[in-house]
Amino acid sequence: MSGLSLLAIVLRKELADALRDRRTLIVVLVSSVLLGPLLLVALSGLIATLEAQAEKREVVVSGIEHAPALRNFIERQSYAVTPAPADYEAKLRSQKLGDPVLVIPPGFEAALVRGEQPVLQVVSDTGNKAAEAGAGRVQRLLAAYMRERSALSLALRGVSPQLLEPMQVEEHDLASAQGRAAQLTGMLPFFVIMAVVYGALNAALDTTAGERERGSLEPLLANPAPRWALVGGKWGAVFALAMLIAVLCCLSFLPAQWLLRSDTLQAMFQFGWVEALRFIAVLLPLAAALSAVLMAVAIRCKTFKEAQANSTVVVLAASLLPLMTLFNQGGEAWWHAWVPGLAQFTLMTRVLKGEALAAQPIAISLGVCSVLTVVSVVFVARHLRAAAVR
Amino acid sequence: MIRIDHVAKCFAAARGRSVQAVADVHLHAPDGCITGLLGPNGAGKTTTLRMLAGLITPDAGRLEVDGLDVATQPRAALARMGVLADARGLSLRLSARENIVYYGRLQGLSRDAAHARADALAESLDLKPLMERRTDGFSQGERMKTALARALVHDPANIVLDEPTNGLDVLATRALREVLRHLRSPAGGGKCIVFSTHIMQEVERLCDSVSVVAHGRTVASGTVGELLAQTGEQDFEEAFVKLAFAEEIGRPASLGTAA
Repeated sequence: MSGLSLLAIVLRKELADALRDRRTLIVVLVSSVLLGPLLLVALSGLIATLEAQAEKREVVVSGIEHAPALRNFIERQSYAVTPAPADYEAKLRSQKLGDPVLVIPPGFEAALVRGEQPVLQVVSDTGNKAAEAGAGRVQRLLAAYMRERSALSLALRGVSPQLLEPMQVEEHDLASAQGRAAQLTGMLPFFVIMAVVYGALNAALDTTAGERERGSLEPLLANPAPRWALVGGKWGAVFALAMLIAVLCCLSFLPAQWLLRSDTLQAMFQFGWVEALRFIAVLLPLAAALSAVLMAVAIRCKTFKEAQANSTVVVLAASLLPLMTLFNQGGEAWWHAWVPGLAQFTLMTRVLKGEALAAQPIAISLGVCSVLTVVSVVFVARHLRAAAVR
Repeated sequence: MIRIDHVAKCFAAARGRSVQAVADVHLHAPDGCITGLLGPNGAGKTTTLRMLAGLITPDAGRLEVDGLDVATQPRAALARMGVLADARGLSLRLSARENIVYYGRLQGLSRDAAHARADALAESLDLKPLMERRTDGFSQGERMKTALARALVHDPANIVLDEPTNGLDVLATRALREVLRHLRSPAGGGKCIVFSTHIMQEVERLCDSVSVVAHGRTVASGTVGELLAQTGEQDFEEAFVKLAFAEEIGRPASLGTAA
């Protein structure tokens, strides 16, 4: 029988074995496949609340009776004026009140007419995010009122209001809709990479250290199958499992976007079949390398537990490397493509931004992962015999 | 037929020291016979049998299975051997049948042939009611039988068993003895069986010839009768103690080999 068909036999057996470990599979599925979409939906809920806050045309005022002209202005801007509760300070602190409070002192109107620059207070609490978000809105409303009043005063004296605004400012945001969304959905690749890690982890440890612990590695080597076929089959099974979890994780974002509560996020977050397939293509080499590296770490361990402790380094590296992009404000550096995990994170972020994937970083990460895979698999094959008898 | 010729193996231990696990072990096991490898714990039995299975490369000496050198043709030699190693772990999430068929497939049998062999072995090892059950909940005896069936799935001409009765109760031990006797007989295929143990009663009841190993060396070999005659003892236990623990009990180990 040829080595390749022996490899296929080992692969099928290890897959069947791993797929029967229902409890582990369910934990991995819940943590890797459900967590991402759940967080996305939760995030959309938060954004929807913020959006509702921004669109709310309501100002909470204490002492509006002292400023009838301001009230008239606010209402002309189609805002509603709500009287503030008496204990608004306490309510702002305890986050029971989600709006900043505009405080108008007695005699405001008269002082304004006399040109005495009366003082208005916008009361908020930096610990109260909702009120803090609304403070800017109130400030802008007051600035508009001041502009209107000064424009009127100038007009009465025959001065053009344009003197006060010698120039005009226009804002242009260069980010595409997908680019803006990527700021929010930037955590997606992180979850997908974690799915690959946790998909591979258990099977990689079970087929190596677990086999040693059970005492089933020594009898396995008493079969006349070449060692590369045994290790290749085991690696193939681990790789297939890692990809299975990764594919499920990517596909889980497709239905997740129907559940998005924020219309803007829904419009900006474009994750269709094309993006899912690109994600999967980007993840293939990473899954291959991670499976092999985890096996190489675990083959030196006598027990599953020891292997778990040792593999923490790999798991941490895979999960923390993408964070480099957060610390690195200079954008993508040339070496990102050479670091497995980081390279895939960068590529997936580009997919989310709707940018084209360049051939060079893909080729680099493919090359690095292939080398890592081959080196690790050879390492496992070399250590298999020693691991069986020790 | 299995022939072990003066093998030696030294392991590197901590702090630059080394341990001579096997110094000079030799054994000749012809077909149709059960040959015992008898020795106290730590005598080098498991290391010797691991060298036979190609898991450890010997420093010196030669191991042959049906004339095939294990060093140069390890896979051809393994294909002619059924090895029940010291470690006999099963894949616990697979059924007994799946465990057996998996090894059959690795030995190069077709799917149908592997299933047919599994059925035949289930019959002869009394495994039938267990075949479709996951091996997770098996008792020691049930695990041993499954592991034995797995080792014999390709119907090898040579069978190597490393302390097969470890952890078995008296009934399971008896059943195993019956199986081995059957495999030795012409009806069972006239197999060459090598059997390591530290229990002399087993050797007395089962083995056609014995090789006594102590401190990594073969100190005597022959039939039970020959060893008794050589030591001038009536009781095989006394004979074994004399042969294996000569140094410890202060007598010179000058007894040589009889066969």
